[in-house]
Amino acid sequence: MATDPGADLPRRGFHEDFAAILIGVALVTLALAIGWSTRPTEDAGSRKAFPKGWPNRLSATIDKPQTWSDAPQQALVVVDKKDKTKVKPVSIPILLGMTWVVGILAAGTLLRGRSLAAVLPGACFLALLGGLAYLMAAQKVINYYNLEYPLWALLVGLVIGNTIGVPKWLEAALQGEFLIKTGLVVFGAEVLFSRLLELGLPGLLTSWVVTPIVLVVTYLFGVHWLKIPSKSLCMVIAADMSVCGVSAAIATGAACKAKKEELSLAIGLSLLFTVAMMVVMPPFIQWAGIDPIVGGAWLGGTIDATGAVVAAGEMLGKNLDDKRPAEVAATVKMIQNSMIGIIAFAVAVYWAGWVDRDAAGPKTSLVAEAWRRFPKFILGFIGTSIVCSWLFTMSPELALLVDGAIQGFTSRLRGWLFCVGFICMGLQTNFRELAPTLASGRPLILYCLGQALNLVLSLAMASLTFGWLFRQGVTP
Amino acid sequence: MTGPSVILPRIPPGLRLAFATATLAAVWLVVLPSIGRHPAVARHVRLMESRDVNPAAMVYTELEHLPLRPAWIERYLVLWPAGN
Repeated sequence: MATDPGADLPRRGFHEDFAAILIGVALVTLALAIGWSTRPTEDAGSRKAFPKGWPNRLSATIDKPQTWSDAPQQALVVVDKKDKTKVKPVSIPILLGMTWVVGILAAGTLLRGRSLAAVLPGACFLALLGGLAYLMAAQKVINYYNLEYPLWALLVGLVIGNTIGVPKWLEAALQGEFLIKTGLVVFGAEVLFSRLLELGLPGLLTSWVVTPIVLVVTYLFGVHWLKIPSKSLCMVIAADMSVCGVSAAIATGAACKAKKEELSLAIGLSLLFTVAMMVVMPPFIQWAGIDPIVGGAWLGGTIDATGAVVAAGEMLGKNLDDKRPAEVAATVKMIQNSMIGIIAFAVAVYWAGWVDRDAAGPKTSLVAEAWRRFPKFILGFIGTSIVCSWLFTMSPELALLVDGAIQGFTSRLRGWLFCVGFICMGLQTNFRELAPTLASGRPLILYCLGQALNLVLSLAMASLTFGWLFRQGVTP
Repeated sequence: MTGPSVILPRIPPGLRLAFATATLAAVWLVVLPSIGRHPAVARHVRLMESRDVNPAAMVYTELEHLPLRPAWIERYLVLWPAGN
């Protein structure tokens, strides 16, 4: 992604990537340590007793606005699903969530040797805007049709950036790239390779065979046939369409140093197609008479966003009162989720070694050149993923520790960091740079053709695995 | 102050922001709630709520229920049994 303002100022501190790694790893370690220090004394290894992992005390320090339908103040309370008279206020955890963002921006500023005083006012303002974007995303129609918070964070930033511009006092706090990198290091804890071992061969085949093929073919198609000038735009579109939407776009966009405008465009395309596919695919599957299990696997392999996959799976099974289509869809998608780390790493290596390589530059070895250009924060992302995956496989107790830390803290924190990161991106986005590419319609063509290939290959593989090879395994 | 990236010279910046904010407020406070009352949309929202689905989940960790080892997949388990 493009450089933040002030990145060229003289610094005495750490490089942005190392600051992101240090802070991200410290936060994941903190969540695991707090979870371990308050581990349950009874049934500590029971998934039935702790379906979302061990409770983590840090969960009280962070939350986001809840869904609301008519009045935004409904977002500040959690209503008990069984007893609607029971409400729990969440305004304090929401404010504390904003405080985490300000604290992380402050820590990053200090680690990078910059002036804290110049950053703090802007950081507080950005955290408030993050709350506003979350509030917009929590409106029920928006939420239940999968228009995720990055879109609204970008919109909030774009509105301010394109009306009054960026005030001077805000410029030093616009560290979107740093926030997204830190968020990705924290996100690594959620990308558990070990989950792949649990989820069975059919899902693995459906997502791991088709996804890399679609990713590579779409990228090559965009670069060589459509001749889109920006390779990073082709890669981000290919990744968000073939892997798992916004999260994959963020990770690969950071790995191939895509411009803010390119990432914004890819996310916008992905979310619009996700809504359409979530609504259209379940009735189409029923109309075409496709087996619901095969249909579930098809949904999981093709719809970009995880939540939309489950929603579509539920819609597919609603007439049958059958949970299996949603379970199959979620399983296939979860395996794709677990691929983000490997794909981001592979993209970073490919970019550093081949795409960004300067042919006219000094002759150095491929490895040395690749290392120099490699986005180092990816190592933090992969590192937290490997450590948490390893812990997850060690014992049922440690698996519950990891799940509790993720559910209670790191996934919420990652959401806030991405949200505020996208506000910064919106504030700095200039769509005029993309105007020639947009006017040509080529990104849209690339997305449509890539998704068409994805639909065909995923249906073929889902029919092969869930419809034939492993049919007995999914029949009660 | 860095200038806005889209130049609309006839309208003062503050007014442009006020207009954009008012438009967004109208969409979120009036239009979306009324769309939410449309029978088809309300039915979709009710179905999702009744099944505890969070369609806005970006990754599986944001789902209301982690899709952990559906019963039908038990026979493919590689790691420890789920029922402990």
